[in-house]
Amino acid sequence: MAPAHVVLTSGFSRRYTNGIKEFDIDASNVRGVLKAMDQMYPGLGEILEEETAIAIDGELHEVVYTQVIRPGCEIFFIPRIEGG
Amino acid sequence: MLTKTMNPEKALKVVGTSPVRPDGVPKVTGLAVYGADTSLPGMLWGKILRSPHAHARIKSINTAKALTLPGVKAIVTGADLPDHKFEYVGPERVAVNYWHLTRNILAREKVLYEGHALAAVAATTPAIAQQALDLIEVDYEILPHVIDVDEAMQPGAPLLFEDMITRGVEPAPAKPSNVSKRLEFSVGNLDAGFAQADEIVEMSFKTAAVHQGYIEPHSCVARYGADGQCELWSASQGHFVVRAYTSKLLGMDVGSLLVHPAEIGGGFGGKTVVYVEPIAVALSKKSGHPVKVMMSREDVLKATGPTSGSSMTVKIGVTKDGKIVAADSTFKFQAGAFPGSPVMNACMCAYACYDIPNSRAVGFDVVSNRPKAAAYRAPGSPISAFGVESVLDVLAKKIGMDPLELRLKNAVKAGSPTAWGPKHAHDGMRETIEALMKHPAYKTPLGKNQGRGVACGYWFNGGGESAATVHINEDGSVVIATGSMDVGGSRASMALMAAETLGIPYEKVRSTVADTASIGYNHVTGGSRVTYATGIAVVDACNKVIDDMRARAAMTWDVNIDDVIWEDGHAKIADKSVGDHTPLSLAAIAAKRAVTGGPIGAEAAVNAGGMAPGFGAHFYDVEVDVETGHTKILRAVAAQDVGRAIHHDYCEGQIQGGVVQGIGWALNEEYIYDKDGRLSNAGFLDYRIPVASDLPHLDVIMVEVPNPNHPYGAKGVGEVNIVPPMAAIANAIERATGTRMTSLPMSPPKVLAAIDSK
Amino acid sequence: MSKHHISTVINGNPVEFLCEPQQPLLDILRDELNMTGTKEGCGTGDCGACSVTIDGRLVCSCLVLGVEVQGKKVETIEGMADGDTLHVLQRKFLEHAALQCGICTPGFLIAARALLERNPDPTEEQVRFWLAGNLCRCTGYQKIIEAVLAAAKEIRGA
Repeated sequence: MAPAHVVLTSGFSRRYTNGIKEFDIDASNVRGVLKAMDQMYPGLGEILEEETAIAIDGELHEVVYTQVIRPGCEIFFIPRIEGG
Repeated sequence: MLTKTMNPEKALKVVGTSPVRPDGVPKVTGLAVYGADTSLPGMLWGKILRSPHAHARIKSINTAKALTLPGVKAIVTGADLPDHKFEYVGPERVAVNYWHLTRNILAREKVLYEGHALAAVAATTPAIAQQALDLIEVDYEILPHVIDVDEAMQPGAPLLFEDMITRGVEPAPAKPSNVSKRLEFSVGNLDAGFAQADEIVEMSFKTAAVHQGYIEPHSCVARYGADGQCELWSASQGHFVVRAYTSKLLGMDVGSLLVHPAEIGGGFGGKTVVYVEPIAVALSKKSGHPVKVMMSREDVLKATGPTSGSSMTVKIGVTKDGKIVAADSTFKFQAGAFPGSPVMNACMCAYACYDIPNSRAVGFDVVSNRPKAAAYRAPGSPISAFGVESVLDVLAKKIGMDPLELRLKNAVKAGSPTAWGPKHAHDGMRETIEALMKHPAYKTPLGKNQGRGVACGYWFNGGGESAATVHINEDGSVVIATGSMDVGGSRASMALMAAETLGIPYEKVRSTVADTASIGYNHVTGGSRVTYATGIAVVDACNKVIDDMRARAAMTWDVNIDDVIWEDGHAKIADKSVGDHTPLSLAAIAAKRAVTGGPIGAEAAVNAGGMAPGFGAHFYDVEVDVETGHTKILRAVAAQDVGRAIHHDYCEGQIQGGVVQGIGWALNEEYIYDKDGRLSNAGFLDYRIPVASDLPHLDVIMVEVPNPNHPYGAKGVGEVNIVPPMAAIANAIERATGTRMTSLPMSPPKVLAAIDSK
Repeated sequence: MSKHHISTVINGNPVEFLCEPQQPLLDILRDELNMTGTKEGCGTGDCGACSVTIDGRLVCSCLVLGVEVQGKKVETIEGMADGDTLHVLQRKFLEHAALQCGICTPGFLIAARALLERNPDPTEEQVRFWLAGNLCRCTGYQKIIEAVLAAAKEIRGA
């Protein structure tokens, strides 16, 4: 099964992953991705939950554990937006 | 979760029509209860003491004399609220820092803007409360102040926080400044990109801060009980958010505070935060009586969050056949007295309409001595669009291309890249531009001192948490409730979606907004999220109820639930071979509810994703009076992709409203400060928003490119319409007069000065 | 300072109240008489949300003192409908989606009625200029103008 391609913004990667922006992660849902990121960088899972939204192949979502991800999709963790 | 659009081939019966809304009659008869309309027995009146200085240290506050005035029942200052640790929590763009927030509600060490609240009084009459304010003695040490964003960034500028070290800069600066944060989004290779350009334009712009301008000032009534339970009636854009902020600021458990959603007289983002609520609760707690606090218009303008003023530089390069190859911009935003301007949104939205392979957007969040910025309709995006869309217009002229053709040539579609990383997932930009180009008036010639200007705009639109309940009454009519405050008619759209899903007439659905104790968490009514996310919750709840009713019909017919379908408001047998049963209406099923299991109802809760952004494209025809600098709007045409208009007229109304706010922002609205940092135009006379006689007919083109992730294809509608007007009008003024305006507002004295200086 | 005793007629009903000399009519209506249909948007006569008529004349009630209505006839939004029959303007506002948040609506209805009582066949421009004293931030005014013109048409029987 093709891994998901996970990308962080430059600002985030500078702060939390020593500048590494892109990762290939095997997971079938968002929870799996968070656990994998947290294993590589302890504490990162919770930060991603609190501070980001995700774009899955461009489609914007809140970070929800059960959100299914297709094999080989692109997942961007982006800053959460608020409107007015 | 992605829910697919239901039966796209099936014709919709009620979605798309324009029925009268449930709160309509109360609103036209003066019976609707807004925040200031609530009164409780024994209620006291709360008034707030505000700083007359733009920047000062508070050496002491003495309330002794005021407390002796007969009729005064309680006085609070910052010392009456618990303090909070200094830390930013939550998502970066809207990181809340309760250390800042409590000081914005009631100042402690310093006052940071004229109008900054520092004490409040509750008394038996408003007049006594006002008198008591005059008896409070405050010893201020006046400090130098700074308001303009460029000035606030200068070395040696007066500092609001002596320990503010800019975040987002590596290595961190050694000295404090007023720059709270720097951020950057970049993609591709700027040098290589600009090297490909045949024409490059770089320009600087300034925009003045503007207020959301809601006609209803902030107000609330709080009743704090001796058992620590508190009820709050508040006009806000989100009573759950009011509950969260207020309880935290008072050191209360969330569950001890019950917030009732009063009707709201406009918000536009400005009422997604709290000002008077924590003060009313604190006064009610201290006095033991209910307290009403209402802001005056002057307080609203002096002390509530407008959007940011800005200073920006935009540089864009295009090839001679109109391909945008590179863009590089810097946005400096005034956050007001505490950090939190929408500069991140500005950076992300700046180029979002266009496929630009090489781009950079740098943003600075800068504090200065004016009220803390709050969200205003697509926060940040209208400001960066002013710069970007003005530069694109200059470039279009340079290469001799129709300005809409230039937009269309570079417009994004599903799969196009964004400047912040992920691809676009939705179409809509092209379709919107094409619809605008087809408008019959787009090519009509104009006369002397007249000009036509265009611009596009983008806004993310929101999803997030919402909850809804659906109950079937004994007679088969339906009540639905959500926790989403209704600013523009959402109760009607929820009822339309419920009626469509259940297959019943709109008139059979009663649609309400429930308080915080009666329904699950609903995020704010803002971010263009309610028709989308709360709509999904309503449809989900209806589907649960439909399954329940099918099961009860199956029970009644002694068949399997799989043999029962729901169609046109009835449970029907799927296949006659199973048996011949008369379809059962909601009324029939409800009549048998007791024996089939009890009341029929369901709640659904969602954290919605899969929302589509808003795309807008506008053109404006203007005529400039070159003797006075006055700009008259002759024609306004706004095209917008709405996905699907659930309530046709209310969708149209949203677009017209945003257009007119944009016109005000473009032509007249600004804060005018005197040399002491005091606001000179703190009222609607001189903070001049558009009136009916300023405006022409407003033409709206609603383009429908449905979002497959919403059961009825809806996209958020409320915000993107304010993004294009300012640049489009600047572009029109340029075509009319040959003068390029680079600062907002383009008020008559400024336009005249620009024309005369040529 | 002792209060003044004022006798007036509001929406056809005799009403008496006590007030301080400096209290605006708006505050009397809202806080003393519990008639909260008339709204405060600015308190300085700039927004029109507090519009009422006094002896048929359109005024901002925030700029009128309570004592000034002694012996006069005041009409507010609460008196516009006839029992449960809406005034044609109220109906048209609903049909034409002429309100979003609705806070400015009572003021607009009172002002629009005052216009149509003087000029039953106004042009669009006349409607826009008459209503220029009423601020709306939600609608952009378009649907309000359409509703007023539609009401005028119906009243004329056209």
